[in-house]
Amino acid sequence: MASAIRKTAKQDENRGPGDRRAGSSRLVLLGLLALALGSFVVGAKVGRQLVRLDRMVTQRFDGQRFRVPSRVLSAPTILYPGLDWKNVDLPGALTRLGYQPETGSGPLLPGRYVFGKNKLHVHLRALEHPTRPEPDRDVEISFEESEISEIRDVATGRELGAVLLEPELVGSYYGPDREQRELVRLGEVPRPLIDAILSAEDQRFDEHHGIDPVRIVGAFLANVRHGGVRQGGSTVTEQLAKNFFLTPERTLKRRVRTALLSMIMEARYSKDEILECYLNEIYLGQRGASEVHGVGEASRLYFGKPVRELTVSEAALIAAVIPGPNGISPYKNPERALARRNLVLDLMHEQERIDDATWTAARAEPLHLSAVTPESSDARYFLDTLRRQLPEVYDNEGLTSEGLKIYSTLDLRLQRIAATALRDGLAALEKHFPKLRAESPDKQLEGCLIALRPQTGEVLALVGGRGYAVSQFDRCVQAKRQMGSTFKPFVYIAGLEPENGRPVITLASTLEDEPLSIPTPSGPWTPVNYDHQFHGVVSVRDALEHSRNVPTARLAQEVGIERIAELAQRLGIESPLPLVPSLALGVADVAPIEVARAYATIANGGIRPEIRTFEDVVDPQAHTLARREIEFQPVLDAGTSYLATSLMEGVVERGTAVSVRSAGLLGPIAGKTGTTDSGRDAWFVGFTPELLVVVWVGFDEPRNTPLTGASGALPIWIRFMKEATGGRIRGDFLPPPEVITLDIDPTSGAIAMAGCPQRKSEVFLLGTLPARECPEGAMIERTAQPPEPERPAAAPTREAKPHHRGFVDWLRRVF
Amino acid sequence: MPRRRIAPLACLGVVSLGVALACARPGRTMRPSHGAPAGQAGAIPPEGAPPLHLSDVAQEGDPARRASMRFVLQGLDADATGSTDLAAGLYQRALQVDPSNPYAYLALGRQRAEGPEPARALPYLEKAQVLFGTQKAETPSVEADLCGLRALALEAAGRSAEAEQQMARAKALAPEIWRDGRLDADELR
Repeated sequence: MASAIRKTAKQDENRGPGDRRAGSSRLVLLGLLALALGSFVVGAKVGRQLVRLDRMVTQRFDGQRFRVPSRVLSAPTILYPGLDWKNVDLPGALTRLGYQPETGSGPLLPGRYVFGKNKLHVHLRALEHPTRPEPDRDVEISFEESEISEIRDVATGRELGAVLLEPELVGSYYGPDREQRELVRLGEVPRPLIDAILSAEDQRFDEHHGIDPVRIVGAFLANVRHGGVRQGGSTVTEQLAKNFFLTPERTLKRRVRTALLSMIMEARYSKDEILECYLNEIYLGQRGASEVHGVGEASRLYFGKPVRELTVSEAALIAAVIPGPNGISPYKNPERALARRNLVLDLMHEQERIDDATWTAARAEPLHLSAVTPESSDARYFLDTLRRQLPEVYDNEGLTSEGLKIYSTLDLRLQRIAATALRDGLAALEKHFPKLRAESPDKQLEGCLIALRPQTGEVLALVGGRGYAVSQFDRCVQAKRQMGSTFKPFVYIAGLEPENGRPVITLASTLEDEPLSIPTPSGPWTPVNYDHQFHGVVSVRDALEHSRNVPTARLAQEVGIERIAELAQRLGIESPLPLVPSLALGVADVAPIEVARAYATIANGGIRPEIRTFEDVVDPQAHTLARREIEFQPVLDAGTSYLATSLMEGVVERGTAVSVRSAGLLGPIAGKTGTTDSGRDAWFVGFTPELLVVVWVGFDEPRNTPLTGASGALPIWIRFMKEATGGRIRGDFLPPPEVITLDIDPTSGAIAMAGCPQRKSEVFLLGTLPARECPEGAMIERTAQPPEPERPAAAPTREAKPHHRGFVDWLRRVF
Repeated sequence: MPRRRIAPLACLGVVSLGVALACARPGRTMRPSHGAPAGQAGAIPPEGAPPLHLSDVAQEGDPARRASMRFVLQGLDADATGSTDLAAGLYQRALQVDPSNPYAYLALGRQRAEGPEPARALPYLEKAQVLFGTQKAETPSVEADLCGLRALALEAAGRSAEAEQQMARAKALAPEIWRDGRLDADELR
């Protein structure tokens, strides 16, 4: 090695001047070669980088540019003469929908209202729906105390029968980013908003090619002149590039990439496309935990209205918050936001985008902000249920990115009432029964509440638990709990439903409440009553009203467990039912929503409704993708349904749910309490002619409690109903033509004729009238059953009038 | 003698119950009905029952029923112009305001009976029947329309004999309306 070095040194010494020149040339050549090579390598690298960036840009622009979460909207509020406007919280609904109060008279812009004395003048916004659109309407609504007395179209003077408030947002199906966005087309964006944004963010947008050296220098000078940041240096295209493609770090490399991306975008796409993208992408604030992106959503957030309705001052405010939506938030820092808005107006004026008059007027306007309506977490359980009910094509990816609108059946007012009733009701129970308190939130006392419209199966409210943040397990839909005594009506319906023309019982029948032992493969089953007493012979009504176990178990044996199970499934129970004697007392595990459906069938005159959570799914192009119509199936005759309803009215009037009345709830109400062993489950199912509500209370891991259906679930039901109905329950439980009302002797069940010492009205299906009469005889009719053991007959006091007897005979003959 | 004394009472009872039951369910024996408005029995004129026009009953009932009827009538208008989706939506609105409005179910039943799947009309007609019965609003005109529409649905369900029976009843009750064997939305308005 050393000899080689010496040899090279010697060769160098031997070189002449000519050789040295040739050597220098070679060096230059080598240098040039290296430079060329270097340039080639760098060029290739830059080129490759440019190709990569170009691909990024085209993929984003040509593919799905934005993830838009699908939104679930509530059922619209319908206003009509006679409606209690206070009960539907009309002022609250207007506020939540972003309607803004005005003063004075004269025509109003859409979304504005004036509340006067006994009058509301409101310009209702249009309802955008592919098949049920409603035009915007300037209407005057008159009140007489709490009732709407008249609705009149201001423009035509015509009286209107009903008007709709647009649906409210129930919630959205978010992707991981939790971004809220309402996509807008450039053509929908009012010119003042574009002007405001360009004035403040990129004055020379139409002239530059992505980066704007003039603006950078200008911004620098402006900021120096004003002693603070007045203008940023980035163009709209650069801001879009940063938000679209890059992470927020501030490095030289990122700045270079931003510039390259901006130039690529400008080269490939039109200014309009870039601006439209920017208007939909820009971050503009927060709604609770969700980020608000784009001017469409920002317009909803700050002003509660569509972007096309923005005024100049409102447009300037949206442009004003762009540099710092949280720091300049008009909610958090109204003064700062106002100053910044006026600065934007000044820039618009300086750049001659608005005239003097507009500038002066807009500057004088206060910040007219909409109330912030963060999405309530109350409806999260409902959103999950709805998602499960959607056709399978709507997977998570589609729902979180395709911007669908789902028109749901939810009544947001009832939903809020339900959530409060459940939360407060459970807290009250814990206060009253301290043993129910749990140390850990995930082990606390739980409950659920479902409200249905029984005729149509529409879910009006659904609260699946105490707090969605603690547990997403929906106890209305996913939990399977023992029904307890809420199963008993099925036993009685099976007994009342005529089979081959004859029922096992009528409402004049009596049942024995005496010790009972039923052999089973696991040994004899001996049911006992809740009060551990036997009550001798009891009427059918008394047995159900007081939820007596023994007579119910006895009746179930007469009717047949298989028949009872078949009936329960016909009514709407889908879970498998064990064919054991104790089924009569509700040992079956079912989901509360199944209970709701089965009871809805009874409330609906024997017609089983399909549960519905939505009406339409609509895509951003306003095409209806899916529709869920009202569907139902007749499964029980209307007469038997009416008898069952009548029985359950007795539960509320005289039985285990009598506290409904003492709480001041009047009107037609039927229901049934339910309690399982050791208070592990407490139920109440109650309904009016138009509303059915199921409440369940218990622990997720069943444990003993001191609760019963009446003490645990019923108070929550009452809380809900009082608030929901405002004490006004519409309608009546009306008997169908095949039901007849007759006076009977309550002791014997015989038809009470003149002279019968006691009597009460009872309802019967035609063809099932009692065979006996009081005072002639006191044999108890047990239709299609062996005669009851002889009991002392009621002594006739005087002979029945012949024409009465004749009428009964005639009824028997005819029916 | 007693029998003779109760005869008028019995007649009144049987007639009013008969009207409600005559057309209660497919397969049930049809009995001649004698109708009068609002469920009261009376003789049907030889030319048949007057056609049922829902605009005639739109002002009856409580405020919710009246508001609901407005939606039903708007729905019939939409149906008459072929906007069936719009009509279905309006009937749903009608039920949102008054879920016990039998005319809304009748209109829904009519839409389905005249639509591509007539058999799907049966539950709606059944529901309408129950509500007309409980609300004592069944008239010969209502009965005629229920029977005629049920006939269309039964025919589509392959139950021709029952369909024939129902259609015969409809034509007997309201020959003017059911002569052509169908009920247009226009005819119900």
